[in-house]
Amino acid sequence: MSSRKFLVISGPNLNLLGTRKTSIYGQGSLEDIHQGLRQRAAELDVSVECEQHNSEGEIVESLQNAPGVFEGIVINAGALAHYSYVLRSAIGATLLPCVEVFISNVHAREDFRHQSVIAPVCVGVIGGFGKKSYILALEALVNLSKS
Amino acid sequence: MPKRVVVIHGPNLNMLGKREIGIYGGKSMDDINGEVAAEAKHLNVTVEFYQSNSEGELVTLIQGCRDAADGILLNAGAYTHYSIALRDAIAASQVPTVEVHISNIYKRESFRHTSLIAPVCIGQICGFGSQGYVLALRALMEEKLDPWLP
Repeated sequence: MSSRKFLVISGPNLNLLGTRKTSIYGQGSLEDIHQGLRQRAAELDVSVECEQHNSEGEIVESLQNAPGVFEGIVINAGALAHYSYVLRSAIGATLLPCVEVFISNVHAREDFRHQSVIAPVCVGVIGGFGKKSYILALEALVNLSKS
Repeated sequence: MPKRVVVIHGPNLNMLGKREIGIYGGKSMDDINGEVAAEAKHLNVTVEFYQSNSEGELVTLIQGCRDAADGILLNAGAYTHYSIALRDAIAASQVPTVEVHISNIYKRESFRHTSLIAPVCIGQICGFGSQGYVLALRALMEEKLDPWLP
């Protein structure tokens, strides 16, 4: 088992994937996404820890505990992406490469989703590709910290 | 039949590797195209590469993709942020298009934070340098993107 570990955080309401607004978010559950990530991680010879929190404070704590344990972070902050300055500060404080992901194309949706307050402290953003957004983000991170 | 993907580079991307290396990296457009071609071979898709500095030529290129391409990888450069003509061309083409940027546009000037083309693309990848194009190609290969189309 590789010692390279990556943290995957999903924010509020993502535990409901597959049960709500499936036309926007798709049929798969969050557990399906986590399984896909674990499989891809194994192929890339890294490991992932996948978490979901509805509470902003829990995500902050998880981010604060990440340095020294994880090499990088994939985060789907859900709606918090658009207004949580606390998350932005917490991501910045980790000093770890962080990739922001979205399942849906946020730019094709309501105006308030067009802005992400965490994007400026992330390495980059991947959105619109469903479950694949997470997989691509992991691939991006693994290659990033390799180079 | 292998899928056909068209890679389109917009204005100033022919200067990659020569201009503002701190933002855009040291790789040339040909270097990037080489990486995409290698991944395309791996994925068994055909790719074609175009670059134009002219908005009108980009419109014509995108129009030509209708019924002719299975996907478009588009880095529209600065046109991203103000070209309604490009947005209309993408929508009219009805070809799944992925928007790619080399830099993280959200870390930069506020005029770069808005993309006029994003709402008509299936998704956006930015901030990963040349790797963004390779990731975008993989994204296009996903069999079932439909649930997330705008």
